[in-house]
Formats: sequence, structure tokens, C-alpha cells
Amino acid sequence: MTQFTDEELKEKVQGGYIVESVDEMTDGYRKALVVQLTVQADTELMSAPAYWMAARHAPSTNTQVSAHAIIQDELAHANIAYRLLEDLGESKEHLVYGRQPHEFKHPYGFDQPLENWAELVVANGFFDRAGITLLSDVYQNTSYGPLKRALVKVDMEETFHLRHGEVWMRRLAKAGGEAREMLQRAVDWMFPMTVEWFGLPDSMKRHSGQLAYRLKGLTNDQLRQVWMSSTVPLCEQLELNAPAHWDPVKEEYVLDYPFPCRYDEAAKRWLFEEGEISWDDVFERWKARGPMNETYVESVQRSRREVARWLQEEAAA
Amino acid sequence: MREHVYDVFARKNRGDPLAHVGYVDALDDETARVYAWKTYDEENWFEMCVVRRSAIIPVNRDDGPFAGGRSEEP
Repeated sequence: MTQFTDEELKEKVQGGYIVESVDEMTDGYRKALVVQLTVQADTELMSAPAYWMAARHAPSTNTQVSAHAIIQDELAHANIAYRLLEDLGESKEHLVYGRQPHEFKHPYGFDQPLENWAELVVANGFFDRAGITLLSDVYQNTSYGPLKRALVKVDMEETFHLRHGEVWMRRLAKAGGEAREMLQRAVDWMFPMTVEWFGLPDSMKRHSGQLAYRLKGLTNDQLRQVWMSSTVPLCEQLELNAPAHWDPVKEEYVLDYPFPCRYDEAAKRWLFEEGEISWDDVFERWKARGPMNETYVESVQRSRREVARWLQEEAAA
Repeated sequence: MREHVYDVFARKNRGDPLAHVGYVDALDDETARVYAWKTYDEENWFEMCVVRRSAIIPVNRDDGPFAGGRSEEP
């Protein structure tokens, strides 16, 4: 019982109309929303094993608790996004347990190993900030009512993750010595990783339904600027080198390295010296997924079938 | 493992309206209570309750998630 044509719906949502049910959606709207929610859900889900393996490096029982509280939040956020997808006719069972590792839609950044406490807190400071940047834009602008309401909780908790990251980045920076060195090394690979996360520059972006259907409000480049506008000053304040600066003439943050560029996964190093590559090269790297992709997905999926079998045996007995 | 949809309602303080805060999938009412309490832990709620979606009877709309819930099970 779709009442609107695609053009009518686009016009209505641009005027502030809030979609409340799947029956009101056009096919195009539903598909664009499914893509957006799948990326959101997969990102939250895959952050959990990444943070979980890194939480082993927590330096105290208190920090173990805060690291695991963050993991618990991320799993709840994933669950909420998959639940929203079920209301759109998608299967959570399939999305979480039925897909191959390379079929997940999370960013390449969450296919990387986080191997010490500095990397975990920079992930909180950088990756979770990217999450807030993207999701607060969705919260402020989305035309889909159920998603807007669900994001109240998500934004609140992501802000806590970001604070956790900032507090610990500050502490490590202040300590100097090896702590500061480890922090700087994490910043060196994770800053460009997050910049790339925001995707194609606007000048190359194919027409996106997400803006037309008002599923988000800002473009990729605008979101990248929002992220840098808080991340670069944070790094400057902590006297950490971040490869970007404010350009007073252009009135925007400008990157100090060729973008996009190659990444050496094993060395965790961006190959600035090799110069700019094409976005097709980036898409190829993303598509091949990163070094921890299979491990992380397997850690989420591994017990599902086995326990389901136990339960069936119980039912049969 | 056949799960049901449960809608979660909560109020933050005495005097606040009971608001829909989200949903969980659960095998039964008991696990739904646990999942709701653990999932929606962003506030120190004064009151929280869960309702199986199929038990919600829509009054004035025949579309939307609550209407869909009615056909979920016998």
C-alpha cells in the first residue's frame, strides 16, 4: 500500500516528513535504508571482537570493566540495528550468522588488529568519534522515525566511549616516554585509517540515495571535516603529530599526505612516500578485507550452530 | 531457536511518561526481561517493562511494526 511515488516521497522527506512504517516506503527508500542500517549494524558488531581482543591489554581491573562496558554497548547497538532491519523484512539470523566474513559491510578499520592498550584507547578516541560523527548526523537528519528514536541511546553511549578514549590518550601523552611513543604510533596508522573511513570525496561521489531520501544530512567530505575539526585540535593539544592542519584560506582542514594512499597491513604503516593511488585501488583493498576479518567474524559466529544442535537434541529427547 | 519480538518501555523518573525505548528478541518473557535490562542500560530507570509485540493491539493504524506483530504467532 505504498501511497507515494519515489519522487513524491523524496519531496516529502526533504520537507520534514517522518516515515514510520515499511508500508509507506518506496522500494528505493527501503533499499537505501537497508544498506545504511547494514553498514551501521555490521560496524557495531565487528567493533566488539576487535575491542574484546584488545581488552586483554587493559592495565587494571577498573579498565577491564570500562573496556568490557564499551564492548557490551557495541553489541547492544548492533542488536538494535539488526532488529530495525528485521522490521524491514531482513533476517537477523542470516545477517549475523549466515554470511561469509567478506560479506560484512563494516569499514576496513575494524578488520585491523588492536594489539596494545594505546591502540584500544586511540580506537575509542578516533573510531568511536567517527561513529558519533556519522550517527549524530543520522540522528539529526534521518527521515526514518524508528531509527531516530533508537539513536538516542546509541549517541549517549558512543559519547562515553569517546571520553574514555580521550581521557586515556591524555594520560598516556602526559606520561611521556614509551607511553607517548606507543600512543603516537597508534595515531600514525589510525588517523589516516579513520579519514579514509568516510569514503569517496564528494567530487567523485556517485549519486547517493541516502541524501535524497534524507537518511543523512551531510556529505562524505563534510563529515570528514566534522571529524577532523575535533580530532586535529585534540592531537595538537596533546602534542601528537596528526597529518592534517587547518587552512585559514580554504577555511577547512587539509591533509598533509597523499589521499588516498597505500597501506602496509603487516607493518601498520601508510606508504605516503609512494604517492596518491586511485579510489579503485582503495575499493579493491576494502573488498579483500583486512587481516583480522575472518578471525573477528568467526569469533561472533562460532558457537551458534553447536548450541542450536544441543537445543534440538534437548527438544527431541 | 525461535525468538519473539519484545518492545521495551521505560520511565526515567517518577512522574515521567512511560516511553518506548527499544526492542529485544528473546525466547521467552524471562530472557526478554534480562535482555531489556542489559541492553537498555543507558539510564538508571525508575521503571522498565517489556511487552511481547504480538500482544500489542493497534487501535487506529493498520500499518507499522505493531500491526505486523499480530500475525507473528497464533
